[in-house]
Amino acid sequence: MGHAQNKDYAQRDYDAILRDGEELISTHCCFCGMQCGMNIRVNKEDKSVLGVEPRYDFPMNGGRLCPKGVSAYRQAEHVERLNHPLIRKNGKLEQATWDEAMDLIVSKIQEIQGKYGKDAFGIYSGSSMTNEKCYLMGKFARIGLGTKNIDYNGRYCMSSASVGFNQSIGIDRGSTNPWSDIKFADVLLIAGSNTAECHPLSMPYIWGARDRGAKLIVVDPRQTKTALVADVHLDIRPGTDVAIANGLLHVMIEEDLVDHDFIQKHTTGFEELKELVKKYTPAHVSEITGVAVDKIITAARLFGQAKNGFTMFARGVEQHATGTDSVSNYVNLCLVTGKMGRKGSGVATFTGQGNGQGGREHGQKTDQLPGFRKITDPKAREYIAGVWGVDESEIPGPGLSAFEMLQALGKEIKGLLLICSNPIVSSPTVGDVGEYLKSLDFFVCMDFFLSESAEQADVVLPSTVWVEDNGTMTNVEGRVLRVKGIDRTPGETKRDWKVICEIAERLGRGQYFQFNSPEDIFNELRVASKGGTADYYGITYEKLDKMQGVFWPCPTEESEGLPRLFEDLKFNFPDGKARILAFEHKGPNEKTSKDYPIILSTGRVVFHYLSGNQTRRIEALRNFCPDPYVEIHPNLAKKYNIEHGEFVKVSSPRGSIELAAKVTKITREDMVFVPYHWGKSLAINHLTNPALEPKSKIPEFKVCAVKLEKIASRAGEKHG
Amino acid sequence: MAKVLYIDYERCIGCKACVIGCEECSGHDHLSRMFVDELNPGETVATSPTPCMHCVTPACAESCPVQAIAIADDGTVLSASLEKCIGCKNCTYACPFGIPRVDDVKKVMYKCDMCYDRTSKGRPPMCASVCPTDTIRFVDEHEIKSEPPKEVQFKWDFGGTVIETRTVIGLPDTETNRYGYREGDGVQS
Repeated sequence: MGHAQNKDYAQRDYDAILRDGEELISTHCCFCGMQCGMNIRVNKEDKSVLGVEPRYDFPMNGGRLCPKGVSAYRQAEHVERLNHPLIRKNGKLEQATWDEAMDLIVSKIQEIQGKYGKDAFGIYSGSSMTNEKCYLMGKFARIGLGTKNIDYNGRYCMSSASVGFNQSIGIDRGSTNPWSDIKFADVLLIAGSNTAECHPLSMPYIWGARDRGAKLIVVDPRQTKTALVADVHLDIRPGTDVAIANGLLHVMIEEDLVDHDFIQKHTTGFEELKELVKKYTPAHVSEITGVAVDKIITAARLFGQAKNGFTMFARGVEQHATGTDSVSNYVNLCLVTGKMGRKGSGVATFTGQGNGQGGREHGQKTDQLPGFRKITDPKAREYIAGVWGVDESEIPGPGLSAFEMLQALGKEIKGLLLICSNPIVSSPTVGDVGEYLKSLDFFVCMDFFLSESAEQADVVLPSTVWVEDNGTMTNVEGRVLRVKGIDRTPGETKRDWKVICEIAERLGRGQYFQFNSPEDIFNELRVASKGGTADYYGITYEKLDKMQGVFWPCPTEESEGLPRLFEDLKFNFPDGKARILAFEHKGPNEKTSKDYPIILSTGRVVFHYLSGNQTRRIEALRNFCPDPYVEIHPNLAKKYNIEHGEFVKVSSPRGSIELAAKVTKITREDMVFVPYHWGKSLAINHLTNPALEPKSKIPEFKVCAVKLEKIASRAGEKHG
Repeated sequence: MAKVLYIDYERCIGCKACVIGCEECSGHDHLSRMFVDELNPGETVATSPTPCMHCVTPACAESCPVQAIAIADDGTVLSASLEKCIGCKNCTYACPFGIPRVDDVKKVMYKCDMCYDRTSKGRPPMCASVCPTDTIRFVDEHEIKSEPPKEVQFKWDFGGTVIETRTVIGLPDTETNRYGYREGDGVQS
């Protein structure tokens, strides 16, 4: 069906049903990086959103949708949508006109930058936006505002995978292979990913491999739905990924299950790795990780003996103070066994946010310019300055990373523009983050719901929702795809890109922001990315429609993009060889102690997305999972005399939270697990450790030390 | 050839997309007719969806005093007719699977009708359309009953009364453990 690149996907041969008086808008889900295709049912006359209809022919999901995808459209007509600008007056956010809001924003930017310098106004951006918006934010920061301080919430999400991929294989595309390749693996090693709940639409591909007889190895502290059906579940202690990978490498080297020819021709560094992992015997690794010796050996043999295979991972591996080491170490598994560059073999990270991939490619990361160019690279600066029509010296250098930026609020940074993010729920030590935001001289937020962060803003600008958006996104595979929106802006809402261009105009920088449509922006992005690692130059809107998305790199207009990387086994380094890197196990930044004896890990549930700003407002999703809870193993619960459903105070050195206990065998005895989609008193990020991974600057969300205390009486009223 | 629902328990992730998807079918009045159950809460995350089993001899229809529950030509047991149903709940008591529900305000029974408006147009029901993991599939009845991909069940013994259903259940392979489905093991086992 359709273009040849899509033939192995999960699409199905049905047409969508069109009902009388309606039209179907073919777009993509606003949530995770799978970017499932869907049809939105729209009333032809008044353009109101009526529902969802499966889009069976989109290759990635073939009409299938998770509960978030099925109900996503319910945001469009939601009663809590912001539909006019708000300005804080006498401590309260009150309705204002666009002119009032824009005048205030521009005067405050000028006042702050005049008084404290250009870098005193920062942008905290997001990665659930279209590529066009992500590109625009990077450009606006550098030559609209002239500030070096722009970063984005993808720093909390994909940054360790980004560094890990770059240091091991020289390119940061979330998956080396198209997703359809998963079906052709003989072994799948999935680490730190609750795939079933976080990326449900990956499951048909995983089941597809299983149906062909593939073995499944899952590395996870919890027996998730994915782990439940694994051949081997390596139920590691959180924060010990480096050790478990070293253990697997040890066994594979000892039993000669490695691909010597591949190692010799296409990699460097194997000897160092071999030397380092000698001491990581299964017995030693078992002590560190808590995983039984026989499981480690079995997993290593399953992986080493298979011809084709994938290692796939997500935030469970990446959100650690040693996240980049762990990513590279899991990549090592494929490199030493030669599982690269062909159908069924490669590495992938599950993209968390909708545009987690594209959002990090085009210059809204503080250290990057469009096309994955380094902002410190003189040639890159010169090229982008040429595209933007400015002098190279006008482009600032690298600024602060996301969490560092939040810590600098009220100090080096006096004013902040927040778009498409909710850091007061998603950051570690959220209590402190609230204080940082309060210390700003001026805080403006663009959103379509009044998020917990927007509640603290001085000005809130009402955006359009995703079904009204037009542009492109880049999914987990590196497939750039079209998002088509309904042509409407309800109430006084405005499109983000227009608002940004208008602010630039009012700041006297309008000549650099003369865009009439998202396609205009995309065409500039294409040129800006040309010659970069993430090269979009050959991608056009027309081609995206025709091919159901185009994989980058796509350097020329004749090119159809590259779904599978490294088929020529030339890795992205000058010598063409991948880097096998060796890492010692260091463990988490914060260890358990007598006072805080239990490990806390955090993660997602299938019904919610990120900070919950959107999903908590969708009634169906809220009803299925209204409140957070703490998962406790029965043996641990018994130790503290905690019954299922009773309330428990969970505390770390940074704060505490009261939660209902969910007593379950699916989690380890030495840890507890809490989902992170709630704000204010229910935000588990009051407890998490702000320690940053030194290279990627990702906070260590996945492990910190806590204590449990049973609460005598229920505190249910507080948890609405 | 008639098509039926095939449900593979091992693939269910408990996401309830089927429950929400069911609401999207026209004629369902945004009222879901699908259920998802936790099989052994506290022990495992295993779950299973339960639609109407579409019995070959449906007790709900047989027990209906006003013959409000029709059976379509392809064997689909339809939801109660709005005009005929008196909301007496006989069907809910008669159904051995506990499927029919009664809307107490409208006084009418509602249950899975296999998205008759969709299936009659050759499309799968919404639950099978949206199911993100292929747990619920819309397949040929004869094929799935005669050449199943794994052990299946479509005959159920209720105290000596055997009921054949058109909905077919794929059972977890706990004996040979082909897919490693270890109910209740938890971690550190």
